[in-house]
Amino acid sequence: MGLLSILIFLPLVFGMFILLMPKALNHYFKYLTVGVSLVQLLIASWLYFNFKTGDGFTGVNQLAQYQWVEKLDWIRLDVGSFGTLQIDYLLGVDGFSIGLVWLSALVMLIASLSSWEIKSNLKGYFALFLLLDTAIIGVFCSLDLFLFYIFYELMLLPLYFLIGMWGGVRREYAAIKFFLYTLFGSIFMLLVIAGLYLSVTDPETGNHTFNLVHAMNPANYSAGSIFSALDNIQILGFSARAIGFIIVFIAFAIKVPVFPFHTWLPDAHVEAPTPISIILAGILLKVGGYGIIRIAYGIFPDIAISLSWWMGLLGVISIIYGAMNALAQTDLKRLIAYSSVSHMGFVLLGIASLTSEGINGAMMQMISHGFLSVMLFFIVGVIYNRVHDRDIYNFRGLANQMPVFTGFVMIAFFASLGLPGFSAFIAEAFSLIGAFSSQSLNGLLPRWMAVVAAIGILLGAGYFLWTLQRMFFGTLRLKKEEWKAQLVDLNFREKLVLFPLAALALVLGIMPSLVFNVMSSSINQFILLFK
Amino acid sequence: MESIFTPYMLFNFALIAITAPFLAFIFSLIFKRFAAVIGIASIGLSFISSLILFIGVWKKPVLHFSFDWIQLANFKINLGFLLNDLTVIMLLLISFIALLVHIYSVEYMRKDDLKYRYFAYLSLFCFAMLGVVLADNLFLVYIFWELVGFASYLLIGFWFKKEKAVLANKKAFIMNRIGDVGFLIGLMILLTQFHTLDIDVLFGQGNLIASSFVKNDIWATPFGLMPAYWLSIAGFCFFAGAIAKSAQFPLHTWLPDAMEGPTAVSSLIHAATMVAAGVFLLLRIAPLFNQLVLTSMAAIGLFTAFMAASIAVTQTDIKKVLAFSTISQLGFMILAVGVQDNAAAIFHLVTHAFFKCLLFLAAGMVIHQLHHLKEKYQENFDDQSLEVMGGLRKLMPITFIVFVAASIALAGLPFTSGYLSKDAILVSVFEWADERGGIYWVFPLLVSITSWLTTFYIFRVVFKAFFGEFRLPQILGKTAEELKITDPNRWMTIPVIILALFCFALFFAYNPFNLESSWIYGSWNNHPHHTGMYPILVPIYINVLSFALIFMAYQAYAKNTFAFNNQASWYYKLSLNQWYFNSFYDVFLIKILMLKTKAFYWFDQKIIDGFIHLLSNIIIIISKITSWFDHYIIDGLVNGSAWLVSRLGIWLRGMHSGKLQHYFIWMLLIFLSFFIYKLII
Repeated sequence: MGLLSILIFLPLVFGMFILLMPKALNHYFKYLTVGVSLVQLLIASWLYFNFKTGDGFTGVNQLAQYQWVEKLDWIRLDVGSFGTLQIDYLLGVDGFSIGLVWLSALVMLIASLSSWEIKSNLKGYFALFLLLDTAIIGVFCSLDLFLFYIFYELMLLPLYFLIGMWGGVRREYAAIKFFLYTLFGSIFMLLVIAGLYLSVTDPETGNHTFNLVHAMNPANYSAGSIFSALDNIQILGFSARAIGFIIVFIAFAIKVPVFPFHTWLPDAHVEAPTPISIILAGILLKVGGYGIIRIAYGIFPDIAISLSWWMGLLGVISIIYGAMNALAQTDLKRLIAYSSVSHMGFVLLGIASLTSEGINGAMMQMISHGFLSVMLFFIVGVIYNRVHDRDIYNFRGLANQMPVFTGFVMIAFFASLGLPGFSAFIAEAFSLIGAFSSQSLNGLLPRWMAVVAAIGILLGAGYFLWTLQRMFFGTLRLKKEEWKAQLVDLNFREKLVLFPLAALALVLGIMPSLVFNVMSSSINQFILLFK
Repeated sequence: MESIFTPYMLFNFALIAITAPFLAFIFSLIFKRFAAVIGIASIGLSFISSLILFIGVWKKPVLHFSFDWIQLANFKINLGFLLNDLTVIMLLLISFIALLVHIYSVEYMRKDDLKYRYFAYLSLFCFAMLGVVLADNLFLVYIFWELVGFASYLLIGFWFKKEKAVLANKKAFIMNRIGDVGFLIGLMILLTQFHTLDIDVLFGQGNLIASSFVKNDIWATPFGLMPAYWLSIAGFCFFAGAIAKSAQFPLHTWLPDAMEGPTAVSSLIHAATMVAAGVFLLLRIAPLFNQLVLTSMAAIGLFTAFMAASIAVTQTDIKKVLAFSTISQLGFMILAVGVQDNAAAIFHLVTHAFFKCLLFLAAGMVIHQLHHLKEKYQENFDDQSLEVMGGLRKLMPITFIVFVAASIALAGLPFTSGYLSKDAILVSVFEWADERGGIYWVFPLLVSITSWLTTFYIFRVVFKAFFGEFRLPQILGKTAEELKITDPNRWMTIPVIILALFCFALFFAYNPFNLESSWIYGSWNNHPHHTGMYPILVPIYINVLSFALIFMAYQAYAKNTFAFNNQASWYYKLSLNQWYFNSFYDVFLIKILMLKTKAFYWFDQKIIDGFIHLLSNIIIIISKITSWFDHYIIDGLVNGSAWLVSRLGIWLRGMHSGKLQHYFIWMLLIFLSFFIYKLII
């Protein structure tokens, strides 16, 4: 059993363990969960630092160059004239996934630390939480589309209950909206996966296969199959590959979320309890970005090039649209939810540029936004747990009352608005540089897109600083008198969460090579797909 | 001349100069009690290193140190230092003034509980500012550029309980961000065209900019082609960055508001150093600008200089006057860059840094002492208003002397540093206009008027604050003995006296009337030496009227022999209301932006989410219809047929009554039916 399997199934085992434990041990569940997440983070860190880079370890479309590969024959079914149904248990990581695996482990640890606020039905909560953990890591590690899809759908189930049962006032609406939105995307994706299965054959066994890596190589498509790149099969007058790309793209665009598929996000984020908001923003959105790179772009590169302009446009619209909406909010959590839309727009823009800088920037933005959004949602949670209110106008001058907290808020806000020295700056700058140089390098995106997207940075400063001024500065004024006693400064556990996140944002801002070095050879290999 | 310092030593001194303030920032936050000591020690160290660097680099070949930082497929970005004349003069200027301001701040912030934060932020600022100057590539410049803005944000909002202060720092940061977006776009253009952002490679000897050319509306570089207008756009983008940082029209409105910060901060950041960073940037990348950009630069600089000077004439808040004066003087520098007299721009930058810093510090001394009175008597008056001052020359003689020294330098009277540097700009503008003729004569005309306005507004302050009677006792209804104020202690007076010395021409030129003898000006030989009559005539013509204006101001504000009665005129109101820029921005930009955000949110809620809800409602309605169909039609059919069968059964059951007569009748009926049927067929 390889490390990746341990990483994936460790939480599941302990989740079952929690289910079997008596209710009397309620108090220990959270410590157990933190422990599991910590072990997971240690394993992930070990993987990250032992990850080999260079030309021999690019991954992407070279199965042999993935690391920590585990391959087991899972399902072999003789289906007569179709040959053998081949589904593998195939795990492996490359430069695109290793960073996200590490990020997931980190975010899960933070989320488990912020699960202190959960007071009811602890057994169910932590069991579902650990199930979710398994699914998330599984998504980033699987290289078999069938396996990927199972983990992908497995994320939905615990999330639905976690939002719907432990969420805020409108939790049921938010949960069902989230569930249906994502399901809508993924069921069509299942059709594409089936189509890919019928088109792709394993060069070794000759069977049809769900292997993700084989699907990236045009030579593995059998002649005349539906997604064959050479034959250009038409469905209702449209190219089958184009339809496949668009369906997969929409499925992941919903997750990212890209305008106009984003409206589940503000509701889900606002209604979810803090740890779930953290997971949603920290990892779930990255599954979308990861899927777009790995599956939509990786399997359909020819279509991706021809639709790059539209991808870039959606990215730019998301950036500006999210920022404008964030400016209009009075609910702090909703503001941050919309800021996520804006920040994730940079990911799409960077990917669409198909330049090394743009994709590096996009990956950096995913990781950077991963822990910065975690920090932001945690900050909202700090206030919400104390007074159960999030309206910006109900608070003023919090800096007088909670100086340490305000310090962390300033770090989080300035890091998020892209102050140099923090990771988001590097990420956004490189996404923009990639988008701008795209026209000169490969002619895909017009230069005005980068110019317009740069305005998003300005708007970002607008909503964050405005919030800072309204909520934290000035003389102390709260909606209710009794809040003054409730709004105490951070406790040790909260500092324990916020400090490493702030430090991480700073470290990656000053030494972005820590991330770039791990990714760059995979990204260069990835770009070759489009040559 | 061979330097006594090896490049390696100089590199280390540069490293010390920049890291010392950064370490001070961190240690000030940890060892709160020693924050002031740490701050002064670190900036002192920076100053000494800067001095050594100055000796080692000035008028010697450029030194460039560069280390790998980020390496990607198409280009890499390095970290490094670029040490040339411009760098070292700025280093020396910044560290020296910062050192004096640090010392001054000890007394100025003595009573503040959070003064460790103040010193920490100040150190952060010094770190960032020195970084802007030392950085060897534009990406790094951008990083420090934004950090400077961040430090300025922290310091403007230092008194975060003051509503005005936190509004001002937000405004400052966001307006600077507008410029930063321009800067960033400029970076993207250069990076795409040249695959490097290294300043030395781009703009140094045998630079890449020079190897690019515009032909047939295509801007060609060794790495790529772009339509020619991108060259102008690049220039305008960087210029936008400078406009924001150096508070030029139309992004100047943040600077007067930034006066909400502590006065020592205003003097260091918003007068001497940070605002000069815009000018510095333009000087660093000067070869990039084409004629279109340069002319626009000159026009913007000129307009800003004039507008700000015209506003300064009527302001009653002493810091506001100085703030607008700063904007106006920065306009002069931008104008100098626009007319391509870079030597005059850097020279004025340096001289201005001294006298404007001094003006702020001296004003700060007055404000500081008045503030003490305010706290002592728990009175409510505006301690920055010129209306409460007056007659301070007897009460605060040192303050008076240094303020006057700085004022005459600002006015550009003979024997002062301002005389040399401002007239250098004026002369260049005259010559520039002379070459072009026609409409360009507006430039010398307006710049002369601005120059006179400058003299007038600063002497208005001098006479209102230091001459006549001390007006505060009258306002508070107290006697002059009760409200005794004096010069503050040595922590404040010594720095200002040192600064006052630098207001005189002797430090900058051995001949106070000859610009060419100035060591700063002379070292930039990229501009042809002035010839003809302008260098002689312009100073005379400017100064003669200046003296007349000083006399007029003396009569009006010190002697009160006459008063200006134009308060109702449109131009007075225009000036008093700062040309209505703030109201304009509030109404036309902020309000409209807010409406737009509301519209976006409405769109999100009603249209996009509305569409989703519509979709879900349609599905629900369809499902209801299906359910109805299922219940009434499908199930109806099933149930109906069952019912039919059962009814039929019940009816048929009725036949089996067991009575013989009934059976007989049924038989008869069936027989008859059969018979009739046969008959018909």
